[in-house]
Amino acid sequence: MALASTLTERAFAERRQKSWDELDSLSRKSTQHGLRALAADEVSDLPSLYRDVCADLAAAQAARYSAPLVDYLRGLTATAHGILYGPHAARDRDGSVAVRRTWLVAFPRAVRKRWRAMLLATGLFFIPLAIGLVLTLRDPSFAFRVAPEAMLRPLADAYARGFDEGRDAGEGTMMAGFYVYNNVGIALRCFALGIFGGLGSAFYLVQNGLTIGAILGYVATQGAGANIGTFIIGHGSLELGAIVLSGGAGLSLGWSIVAPGEQTRLASLQSTARDILVIVAGAAVMLVMAAGIEAFWSASSTPRPIKLTVGGSLFFLVVAYVLVAGREGPAAAPAEAQR
Amino acid sequence: MAAPLDTDVAIETPEHIVFHYRLAGPARRALAYVVDLVVCYGVVLVIALVVVLAFMGDRTTKDLGTAAKAGSGVVLLALFAAQWIYFVVLEARTGRSVGKRVMGVRVVTTTGRPIGWRSAALRNLLRAADALPTGYLVGFASMAITSRFQRVGDLVAGTMVVVPESARVATPIELSPPAKPKELATLPEDVALDADEREAIELFLRRRLTLGRAREHELASMIAGPIGERLGFVHPDPARLLAIVYDRAVNVGRGEAPPSSYRARTARKPKDEQPWR
Repeated sequence: MALASTLTERAFAERRQKSWDELDSLSRKSTQHGLRALAADEVSDLPSLYRDVCADLAAAQAARYSAPLVDYLRGLTATAHGILYGPHAARDRDGSVAVRRTWLVAFPRAVRKRWRAMLLATGLFFIPLAIGLVLTLRDPSFAFRVAPEAMLRPLADAYARGFDEGRDAGEGTMMAGFYVYNNVGIALRCFALGIFGGLGSAFYLVQNGLTIGAILGYVATQGAGANIGTFIIGHGSLELGAIVLSGGAGLSLGWSIVAPGEQTRLASLQSTARDILVIVAGAAVMLVMAAGIEAFWSASSTPRPIKLTVGGSLFFLVVAYVLVAGREGPAAAPAEAQR
Repeated sequence: MAAPLDTDVAIETPEHIVFHYRLAGPARRALAYVVDLVVCYGVVLVIALVVVLAFMGDRTTKDLGTAAKAGSGVVLLALFAAQWIYFVVLEARTGRSVGKRVMGVRVVTTTGRPIGWRSAALRNLLRAADALPTGYLVGFASMAITSRFQRVGDLVAGTMVVVPESARVATPIELSPPAKPKELATLPEDVALDADEREAIELFLRRRLTLGRAREHELASMIAGPIGERLGFVHPDPARLLAIVYDRAVNVGRGEAPPSSYRARTARKPKDEQPWR
């Protein structure tokens, strides 16, 4: 209960006000314009001003100064704390190195680390796709149970016409916008709903697989199978691959709650989420690329053999990238071990 | 200080200083979200209008279809940005979307630090789960059962939404006019007030200027009686009594204290050394 301070509140405030104001103005400057807006000497002043205010706050609390003063000092401390202990370190790394590392190493590694979930997602997507395809080939009316007839008939007609007319730039842009909005949205939702024990992701995977299978089958029964095949092969590896990856990420997210191992469920969820975020980002980037290809290449009037060759090569490239990229070469491993 | 309310979160800094953040509740956050919706879809709507107007103006030319279609592609991209990118970019860079800025709240990590790109991306990706089944019911349920009003996205990203204190110094409470010796005749040298009494009097003294004369008198008499009786201190004006008691309790023994609160026989000499520069 002893009064720690030998000063009255007013005398204390008057004495310290100058340095509080200084800290306040530095805080404001860096929250509004970023830390880089501060001059070199201002940056070096910041930590000591902050520590002084910390001491002032402790003293004010111990001396039982009135609530508004303590609240003011708390506000100052909180703001400065946020600036000093913010996530700056990561931002200052060399940008291009970070980007290269993310896409050549971190992303494929993260996918391989979760290979069980990815395998499960592949099954949950492609098995319903095959079932939808086979059932529709045996009985085309099955497609109408999965997708509305009003959508399927014009679709089949469109593919039957072929791609000789190509697409003009305007329509290409519109479709690219639509593919980004629709497909990336689906992939992100497919990941997010994995939080419910993976059920949301599983549902999206099965539903999309079944629908795509049924559409493929229906268009094939209407005699345009070769055309839709040519259309899909261009962007399919990226697009379907990305759906599987985001679904697999969602399944991992769900599984981290179901089986947290030796962590609490919340800790397991949080660390898994941080781990697999790069997979989701990769899937989104793949879908944006797929949208460009789908809008401007897949429906273009380029001859079929070229489309098949390019699409096939892209497929192997994507698979090789996910399976091989970012592995340590045999020469690199011993050097790493020596350190 | 009073015990922290349960809507406060204590943050300990590496300097072992503890400060409290006030959590933003569901109502404030919902309002911020509404503001964000208006901003986002307002921008999308403006883009759509521009596209429509350009299309109308272009009706005579042959190329009109191309421009209109390309325009609708841009509108769809804007819609995508409104749903998935807007929150992530603003929160990662400044910790607050436009709506959060308007409502005076901010996203921080559960350790009280600003959030980075990962946290911003995660908490806003998981919006899709929080928004289920409709009207953010999952999010509200999650906020109701977690101690920091966290929706599912906050739990996954390890974040919370707080109301930062506004940084403004209040003037210290002072006895004015200074006490006359006659007033202090019956006041004991040592005035001991416990934390609750002190805080109650302090709150009252800060509020008294906004109160009517009669209300001020009424409030002061509730507590002035018992305190005066205990200290054996009498004063005709209960509000003035509280001010004098508070002044002595707070300032006695401190350097630069006004004479009214100063002890006649000094038990402790005020230090010459100044602990705070």
